[in-house]
Amino acid sequence: MTATATRSADSPAVPPRERAGSPARPALLIIGAIGLVVTVWLVCNAFLAFAYYPQWFLHSKVIIGLLGLVFGIGGAMVFFRFLNMIIEGLPSRLSEGLIPYAFLLPALALLGLMLIYPTVQTVVYSFANDDSTEWVGLANYEAIFGSGAFWQALLNNFLWILLVPLITVAFGLAVAVLADKLSSTGERVSKSMIFLPMSISFVGASAIWGLIYAFRPPGSSQTGLLNAIVVALGGEPQAWLQIDTARLNSLLLMVILVWLQTGFAMVLISSAIKGVPEDTIEAGRMDGAGEARIFWQIIFPQVRPTLLAVFITVLILVLKVFDIIYVMTNGRDNSDVIANLFFRKLFVDQQAGQASAIVVVLLVLIVPILIYQVRSFKAQEANR
Amino acid sequence: MNRRPSRRAVMAGTAAAAAVGMTGCLQNPDPGRGGGGGSSERYVEGEVPGPGSVSILGAFGGQEEEAFMASLAPFEEETGITIQYTPDQDFTTTIQQRVGSGDAPDVALFPQPGGLFDLASQGHVTAIDSFLDYDALNSTLIPGFLDSARYQGRVYGAPMRLACKSLIWYPKKVYEAGGYSDQPATMQELYGIADEIKATGIAPWSDGWNAEQATGWVGTDWIEEFMLRVHGPELYDDWIYHRIPFNSPEVVEVFDILGELLQTEGNVLGGPTTIINTPFSEAPLPLFEDPARAMFVRQGNFVTGFLPEDILANMDEELGVFAMPTWEGGFEGQPILGGGDLAALFTLNDDTVALMKFLTAPEFGAEWAQAGGWLSPHRTFDPSHYADETTRRVAEIAANAEVFRYDGSDVMPNAVGGGSFWTGMVEWLNGSKSAQQVCDEIEAGWPQ
Repeated sequence: MTATATRSADSPAVPPRERAGSPARPALLIIGAIGLVVTVWLVCNAFLAFAYYPQWFLHSKVIIGLLGLVFGIGGAMVFFRFLNMIIEGLPSRLSEGLIPYAFLLPALALLGLMLIYPTVQTVVYSFANDDSTEWVGLANYEAIFGSGAFWQALLNNFLWILLVPLITVAFGLAVAVLADKLSSTGERVSKSMIFLPMSISFVGASAIWGLIYAFRPPGSSQTGLLNAIVVALGGEPQAWLQIDTARLNSLLLMVILVWLQTGFAMVLISSAIKGVPEDTIEAGRMDGAGEARIFWQIIFPQVRPTLLAVFITVLILVLKVFDIIYVMTNGRDNSDVIANLFFRKLFVDQQAGQASAIVVVLLVLIVPILIYQVRSFKAQEANR
Repeated sequence: MNRRPSRRAVMAGTAAAAAVGMTGCLQNPDPGRGGGGGSSERYVEGEVPGPGSVSILGAFGGQEEEAFMASLAPFEEETGITIQYTPDQDFTTTIQQRVGSGDAPDVALFPQPGGLFDLASQGHVTAIDSFLDYDALNSTLIPGFLDSARYQGRVYGAPMRLACKSLIWYPKKVYEAGGYSDQPATMQELYGIADEIKATGIAPWSDGWNAEQATGWVGTDWIEEFMLRVHGPELYDDWIYHRIPFNSPEVVEVFDILGELLQTEGNVLGGPTTIINTPFSEAPLPLFEDPARAMFVRQGNFVTGFLPEDILANMDEELGVFAMPTWEGGFEGQPILGGGDLAALFTLNDDTVALMKFLTAPEFGAEWAQAGGWLSPHRTFDPSHYADETTRRVAEIAANAEVFRYDGSDVMPNAVGGGSFWTGMVEWLNGSKSAQQVCDEIEAGWPQ
């Protein structure tokens, strides 16, 4: 059905639309509007048919999946075709201004539906009770700010924010600079090795590091790498992730994220270093600057915007860190972070109000960083 | 030259479009699905003819699914009804979602009664007494099992599988060579044996509570076992249904009793740190090391699935098991703590009722029993169907139980039974909080 619709939509040859000041063309407008309605109707019903009448499709999930793809993608294409027709049917004075909006609108509408609406709703729910049926005023905020667990999580988040982006960027920079000095094969190999963890999911990485931190009772053979080393050196095996002295367990969890993200930092910083104009470095050499001086005074200032961008990207990632803590400790022994606390409040304790309040706090913490990132990005663009 | 469409035309167009959108859409041909159930009338066969197929949603997949389907094969052959089984790892969430969106399966196999009660309270589930012979079912089941599926006086789920938790496992060869009794009558007697074992230089117990984000659930089972033995089933029920507060002195007392067992130096291999860091599946491993480093593990019947292959190969010679004995001065009878899958009916028709009758018959599951990993909830199930002597022994222990109680943490609200109770156990065991503190906190976090 859609296929024929496409053909009939295509058949009226689309006239060139660059004629300035062309008048409205009601025929196009009407065909476009009808086509749009028919397309939406057809696609909606096709998907409803998948759900209500699977027997029409022989109960085959493969057929339904394929048809879903055809109707979904084809439907979107035809939808935009008709939308374009409507716009072209308008007087050109109007249509030229409208075209970008018409094509942005569906995306913006989806963003609004999936991002802005839930955000507003979350803020609203943070003033409501556990199942969001009654207003409780500021009680949720009082509850979370009054609980020790929240402040512990906040402190841990603060440590994560303080340490992880800095260490990641420092490692990334160091690796990028050192790899730059290697032969091209050596550089390729070492960079690939360091980039490799990037392709591992957080949960997968946690499983890998779980093996490193594993603890077996004293006297049995230690399967955890760290404890095997400690025991080989004559020490006692430790339950690493249970030690919250000096937040050791949190630090050990941070290592996982640094391990995952150094590759990302390295790739961006490395390309920035390669982008430093050779003549500026040569000029420094001619003036008799040493390698260290060339790095700090010529290369570093030129890659600084990239460092900042990487730093902020990792920072935002760290604010959302959840998987590692959930899998490794689930917040036991003072290793909790805000995202994990939120998850527990919502899905385990089923206290939607307090959970919302927690993420609102997280949101408030992230917004200034986001604004700063956008600003610095703009400044960077302006400098080009 | 006003050629712009007039406002009226636009309005009319919009209205027409909306009308097409509203009226032209397909309607759900079967809007009653998922909303059914809740009937209190006695169902008479023939009232609603079946469509010839029944959809089942359950939590288990893989080998268990194959064994389940194998035991349903005779039903399909005999009645000509097709069974569509869908396994879902995230069953607890999925069933709520599907019922909420009007897409309930015809029958669902609940691994815990908690979620079942929610749906029953909303009227989605048909109570089993309206289509099954309640008294006949109750007379063959392990006593007390049906009570675990009772909600406001009526039972909404029919047991089709039993998990037995109150079991103590030991390495048969080493244990018998040591000459220890394998029939301690009371926990105190068992403690005596444990002291003898301790005197030989190894820890009597091995235990593991680690289960990633679910760490601590093994600890909740310990508390439940002792609640049942020290204070008896009535107080146990009061406790799990929150008719007494969680921080009652009886509960705190049980924490202290358990503390003497688990926290006393040398009682458990490696002490509390090891318990918390050992995955529950690895707790039995030290029993089978050479020489054995511990003698007892308390865990459910599923633990055999985690044993080393050479032990599994001749399980009957290597592995011994007895029921966790009673507490001297506590409840007299032999209680068994367990769990099980409960079959609940969402769509009432001839086919689904026939299936429910088949699933809950005392004979059901011979094929599954042969494949292993399954226990019948019926006392009258023929034990010769089980694949090995160890399973027969476990089935006998369960069948001889004087009292059966469902795992309390599965019955408590999720915020406690899947949250604060777990974390509380860990904080208590590693000594960062006292029993009283932990109980107070769990009580404070109990949903209103």
